[in-house]
Amino acid sequence: MGPGFWPVTFLMLALSLICAWYFLYGNIDWILPGASNPLTDRTNDIDALFKFMAVSSTAIMIFVAGYVIYFGVVFRARPGESREAVGVPVHDAPKLEFWWTVLPSLLLVVLTALSIVTWYKIYFGTAVPALTAEVIGHQFYFEYRYPGLKNSVYSKTEAMHLPVGVPVRILITSADVIHQFWVPEIRLKASGVPGLVQNLNFTPEHAGTYSIACSEFCGPDHSLMQGQLIVEPVAAFNAWLEKEKTAAAAGGGALNLAEGTADAGKATFAQKCSACHNNPPTPFDQKLVGPGLLHITDDPAHPNLVSGKPPTPENIADILQNGFNGPIGQMPNAQANGLSSKDIANLVAYLVSLK
Amino acid sequence: MHSDTAHETHEDHLDHGHIHPAPEGFIRKYVFSLDHKVIGFQYFFTGIFVLLIAGSFAELVRLQLTDPNGAIMSHTAYNEMFTMHGTAMVWMVLIPLVTGAIGNFVMPLQIGARDVAFPWLNMASFRIFPIAVATLFSSMLFGGPHAGWTEYPPISLADGTAGALWCMAIFIIGISSTMTGLNFMVTIMKMRAPGMTWTRMPLFVWATFATALMNMFATVALSVAVGALFLEHVFNVPWYDPARGGSPVLFQHMFWFYSHPAVYIFIIPAFGVVSEVLPVFARKPIFGYKMIAFSSMAIALLSFTVWMHHMFPAGIAPWLQLPFMILTYAIGVPTGIKIFSWMATLWAGRIYFTTAMLYAMGFLITFTFGGLTGIFLASVPVDLHEHGTYFVVGHFHYVVAGGAVMGFLASIPYWYPKATGRMLDERMGQIGFWLFFLGLNGTFGPMHWLGLEGMPRRYASYANFASQYPDAVFWNRFETACSFLMVASVGLLVFNIFWSMKNGKVAGINPWGARTLEWTISSPPPYYNFKKLPYVYGRPYDFDQPMPYQNTDLEIEAFPEYGKVVMPIPTAGAAAGAGAH
Repeated sequence: MGPGFWPVTFLMLALSLICAWYFLYGNIDWILPGASNPLTDRTNDIDALFKFMAVSSTAIMIFVAGYVIYFGVVFRARPGESREAVGVPVHDAPKLEFWWTVLPSLLLVVLTALSIVTWYKIYFGTAVPALTAEVIGHQFYFEYRYPGLKNSVYSKTEAMHLPVGVPVRILITSADVIHQFWVPEIRLKASGVPGLVQNLNFTPEHAGTYSIACSEFCGPDHSLMQGQLIVEPVAAFNAWLEKEKTAAAAGGGALNLAEGTADAGKATFAQKCSACHNNPPTPFDQKLVGPGLLHITDDPAHPNLVSGKPPTPENIADILQNGFNGPIGQMPNAQANGLSSKDIANLVAYLVSLK
Repeated sequence: MHSDTAHETHEDHLDHGHIHPAPEGFIRKYVFSLDHKVIGFQYFFTGIFVLLIAGSFAELVRLQLTDPNGAIMSHTAYNEMFTMHGTAMVWMVLIPLVTGAIGNFVMPLQIGARDVAFPWLNMASFRIFPIAVATLFSSMLFGGPHAGWTEYPPISLADGTAGALWCMAIFIIGISSTMTGLNFMVTIMKMRAPGMTWTRMPLFVWATFATALMNMFATVALSVAVGALFLEHVFNVPWYDPARGGSPVLFQHMFWFYSHPAVYIFIIPAFGVVSEVLPVFARKPIFGYKMIAFSSMAIALLSFTVWMHHMFPAGIAPWLQLPFMILTYAIGVPTGIKIFSWMATLWAGRIYFTTAMLYAMGFLITFTFGGLTGIFLASVPVDLHEHGTYFVVGHFHYVVAGGAVMGFLASIPYWYPKATGRMLDERMGQIGFWLFFLGLNGTFGPMHWLGLEGMPRRYASYANFASQYPDAVFWNRFETACSFLMVASVGLLVFNIFWSMKNGKVAGINPWGARTLEWTISSPPPYYNFKKLPYVYGRPYDFDQPMPYQNTDLEIEAFPEYGKVVMPIPTAGAAAGAGAH
């Protein structure tokens, strides 16, 4: 075998066991985020599979690298040795080859079996989901839809909400190019492919705030396509959903301008308005399709809005809600533009802030 | 193969009237050449040239990521850089270098042939390679492609003219690959020296044969895929655009039906190089010759059956994921057999740590690592977490840089003496190895945990991720710093290649004491390689035996200027072999 073969082998075995112990019992949150406090039942299943693979492949890596280095050291040609000297001329060792074919094959069979069990849980393991939410990818934000909720929720300004302890199904698709919905703590992802709906099923197990990332290249600002997932207790989730529903049902009436934030409005403006209004906003006369919206509330040349009303937040919201049809052109209404009440509030806050 | 028939076939084939005199003058010798060796050099230097460009793009990508908000360029420019880096490295660097350069130079020499089967086709394959390179890089004048080396529609449809040029470049280089594959396949099947049966072929030839088959059969799928994408770009034929009834997932299927074998197209020649280098510098026979040769063929076959593992979350039916997971795991078995056989080759050898050997042993470590992370990615559930993240980037680069490139880098010092007649400087070579090995692990190692933590690939900025994992900034900077070690290594190699042409030690016929056929002729080999065709009566790995070759009487009498062709001294074994023929 070579001098010191068994001590070296035992050393590598010990090292493998230490690594195995670390993967199984150590804190590996730095490799698998939230592994010590799994967010969903799927997190648990996938982490168990990952740990099994990590333990076995770390051992294989240690033995391969260890023996390569060990053979290199003990079988190195000594200085002064004849160039004619040759190594031991073995061509094969059928028994050895049999085992190093069979054992890895068995390991792979076990791995396949474990993977299939987990795969089954992922796709068929959630009974009838109690909540089905939809995620639609856009360049470069996620849109969320909930049952009974007329308006969508946009990720740039708002988070996705999910209740704790309720089996959920997320349906994923896209409105333009291929996107991918990924929450690292859930361990699951699916591409949003235009024209195709995929689903992910899991049950969140505790509350928290997590990032949603697009992980399929979708265009220049792919890396900015980030969302937020708020997992909250059922009561809080229901309260949030009810509030959204009331706002949606009441239409413009439920519009609460005080809720709007200029920052969120700026983002919505870039998505929704910049096709027709210069972004960053310019003075009124610098038109793209519609007029420039800088100084919308304090332009001495145009004391009133195009609707002829004074530039109060309510009147600006009115144009956003109902659109405008007049001598200088047409602007679609909120429904056609896909604006929620929240969006309108945000946009008004933003436009009013432009001085 | 029965030796009598082999002999006769070759005698018929070698009608002396068809042997042209060696070309003279620089232009005829090095530019318009039909010689497989010169075409190998042409591939080599063109490939290295593109490597330097594509490598500098990679450095720009790494520099951008030293800051979570993107350090040096816009998102659009970054997207163009990683797209061009990947495209150029895969199609214009790796495949031309391992098949076109090393395969062209070494394979005909190793089978005792005077050239490839179709020298004109070989020349044509090379001729269109620079055209493909020019087409690819000209796309940057039109805004450049942006959708990554995979150019998935519908996002790639936004690339316009640049996207169409990308398709053209890949289509052209695909034709080159297909022709080379056909040429090599026929060469290996029909032009082996008398007595060289399939199981007497050097393992690099086996690897080249497996690669040739994949080149021939897989590249066609890619050509069709990018051809259709081209039609969609230019003539608006809605193959892939979902808005007009096309299927974006169809492109992914066709792309990966080629691109998974493509990974093996550049890794299997590296396997071949390692299988040559390890026995020579361990001074003992390769362990498990038949199993290594068989596993190359098994991998080549299986590589056609696993493409959907790139697409687990991409929109395929869940039940369809299972067969592809199982077949992917099946590839692990022949790969494992290879790695264990190489380790057994080292056992009880007399190991000389030359540059080539260091690269081959480094390959064993880094390629094994890349293979093991592949096991993680092949499992559907774990892949649902890892797909599209930095973990994939790390895995892929361990396989490509730690596998294919390490094998390629082992082949340079190993065959450089044969190609130029001089030794590559050992000291520079060994420094280069350590720079590359450390740089590779430092650059691609941390990518694994960054990806698992939640860093997706192809991100021009990662501010949101870095706000949750502040360590990410440190590790990205660490990777960038380490990547410059690889730059230094490649720079040193290029310098060494030119420096040693003048200053290297004169190599002689067989500086390594190797036993494959190319080491029985002068360095550099004469035009037409073998004045007398050798008769082969054994495998080239028995270092305690006499060389298993003997001259036949098939000489090129008409050209005495080729000089003396040195063949091993006949022994009892040789006489027996000669008696058989």
